[in-house]
Amino acid sequence: MRQIAIYGKGGIGKSTTTQNLTAALSVMGKHILQIGCDPKADSTRMLMGGRRQASVLDALREVGAENVKLEDVMQIGFGGIKCVEAGGPEPGVGCAGRGIITAINLLEEDGAYTDDLDFVFYDVLGDVVCGGFAMPMREGKAREIYIVASGELMALYAANNICKGIVRFAERSGIRLGGIICNSRDVENELGLLTAFSSAIGTHLVHFIPRDKIVQRAEINKKTVIEYDPGSNQAEEYSKLAKSIIENDGFVIPTPITYEKLEELMIDFGAIE
Amino acid sequence: MRSVTINPAKMCQPIGAMYALFGIHAAAPLVHGSQGCAAYPMRMFNRHFREPVQVAVSALGEDAAVFGGAENLVASIENVIARRHPDLIGVITTCLSETIGDDIEGAIRGGDFGKSKVIPIHTPSYVGSHVTGYDNALKSLVADLSGNSASEDGGEDRVNIIPGMINPGDVCEVKHILDLMRVPHTVISDISETLDAPLILPKPPFPEGGTSIDELVNSAKACGVISLCDHAGGTAAKFLSGKYGMTADSVCPVGVVNTDRFLDSLCNMTGVEVPYSLEKERGRLIDAMVDVHQYTYGKRAAIYGDPDISLAIAEFVSELGMDPVIISSSTASGKFLRRAKGITDGEILNGRDLYELQLAVEMVCPEILFGNTHCKLIADKEKLAFIRCGFPVSDRIGYQRHGITGYRGGIYLADLITNAILDRYGQHG
Repeated sequence: MRQIAIYGKGGIGKSTTTQNLTAALSVMGKHILQIGCDPKADSTRMLMGGRRQASVLDALREVGAENVKLEDVMQIGFGGIKCVEAGGPEPGVGCAGRGIITAINLLEEDGAYTDDLDFVFYDVLGDVVCGGFAMPMREGKAREIYIVASGELMALYAANNICKGIVRFAERSGIRLGGIICNSRDVENELGLLTAFSSAIGTHLVHFIPRDKIVQRAEINKKTVIEYDPGSNQAEEYSKLAKSIIENDGFVIPTPITYEKLEELMIDFGAIE
Repeated sequence: MRSVTINPAKMCQPIGAMYALFGIHAAAPLVHGSQGCAAYPMRMFNRHFREPVQVAVSALGEDAAVFGGAENLVASIENVIARRHPDLIGVITTCLSETIGDDIEGAIRGGDFGKSKVIPIHTPSYVGSHVTGYDNALKSLVADLSGNSASEDGGEDRVNIIPGMINPGDVCEVKHILDLMRVPHTVISDISETLDAPLILPKPPFPEGGTSIDELVNSAKACGVISLCDHAGGTAAKFLSGKYGMTADSVCPVGVVNTDRFLDSLCNMTGVEVPYSLEKERGRLIDAMVDVHQYTYGKRAAIYGDPDISLAIAEFVSELGMDPVIISSSTASGKFLRRAKGITDGEILNGRDLYELQLAVEMVCPEILFGNTHCKLIADKEKLAFIRCGFPVSDRIGYQRHGITGYRGGIYLADLITNAILDRYGQHG
């Protein structure tokens, strides 16, 4: 069982990328559990045909920890993918980070991690802002991290920050960075910039996903591209990403760079002046 | 449901974890939290056991809450080692360290602590109660240490006993039974000596007794494990039986039938027979019960305690001809509810507060109340005969020394009950 966490700046397309990736993997016959670690609980929406499912923490709130049953919070989505949403509090109240810890503990107690799984994916909200959002990186959880980024300063800034989190846990828990996934924003020199950034932090670009309107069309139809139009170019791109992840053997402890260095890189590639 | 607790009936997880660590030889509990998390429990232990106990704390402040407590944790582990040279340090988490998601395992793995074993114990106080904390601590101890290194052969006829949050006197009684049965045993978290230590000068750095690290390691080889309190130790028993294939059972030996069951379980695990000496003890208990039957028969009892103790006492008072009209558990649990329904048709309070216990007492009008010191106010107000048991009992001396487990403990408890009835209701009961 490979446990993989996907991190990246908020709004970068983590959930879209993760769902298309797991959908592509499921088409290849892999057994997958996808856990959305975001209080918004929308990480598995397209795999579930637009249906919102009850999150682990919703169940916890309603029936109490003792009575949460796995079948209530784990739904089977596209391609047999087991979908779970950790859930969390409303914006501005409570502690979403603790929510992630509680949800993952409950899933472990209730036996969600079965031996037949090939992959467990954690789709984690935005930045690693506190210990709770680092939970998937700890103790026997995800051993591989992929960061979704694009050719914009703040996306790379966030990616660099996430690498600092990985370094912290790498020595203790043995987690490694598997690489950068570029979800293209169609900015100039994006491929070059991302390749240079990846090598600057000591890793490689796993795949460059071009921008394509079909992603939005599929989303409006509450489907992943893989399901909506399996013959499309974009579906092919996601399949390539899936293959790269299956075959990936470049796992590293990243070497985060300074903000100044990051700016220089951006200037070199003409992304900022 | 009420959204306020009035006079809470439960304590927090770290207290249970500390309780468990006091029974490990030369172990130091280190609370990873702010100061009060160690200061107040320590006072409670002092007053109940009348023993000095030492609890270290990583003293998290505002800065640690914001930036993470790893630095404090490592520094305090190093301090505890430098000052006390313990065999084991149990790092007990708290509300704060759990909520900020401190990576305890990571911080510990990164350090070099020499000969001292450092074991993380997760005890978020807002989950469960002190009972859960004891259960988590035992699970962490056996999961981290059992079967850790190959030691000499032998010990396959041993039985592991996990006592739960009972008194040193209770553990002594259980060990007395095991000795009479000639069953080699390891009591995992054995507070019988550590929390009832003699005063001999010079004082050793750690009290004698307690479960040693070697015993914990070798607990993997035993033929069976019995948790006396299913809610406090049952998870560790399940772990041992799941990992090493030993038989696991849970029985709280309070009263005739429960003690019989305990002996049966030992016989089944080891193949020994019950010696005549124990039959005599059983006979003495029966005799004591017959002697007091005229006072106890038909009396209505309210019982408050940790789930397993509360159930076991309810069963014993039934054996005395009393009617357990209220059974109350400090800790909410489905298992408790099911078992309590099998014992009484009366009120069952599953993890409710003492205010609710008081309301139930006013409604059902029992004559006798069993509970810890906090229940005294209810007993006084309602003018009930009051039998102190459980933790903490801090308004009387010596309760922790005398066991209520086993046949002899049954005699002691029957005497306590009867004297309380005589005190309150006079010679004619």
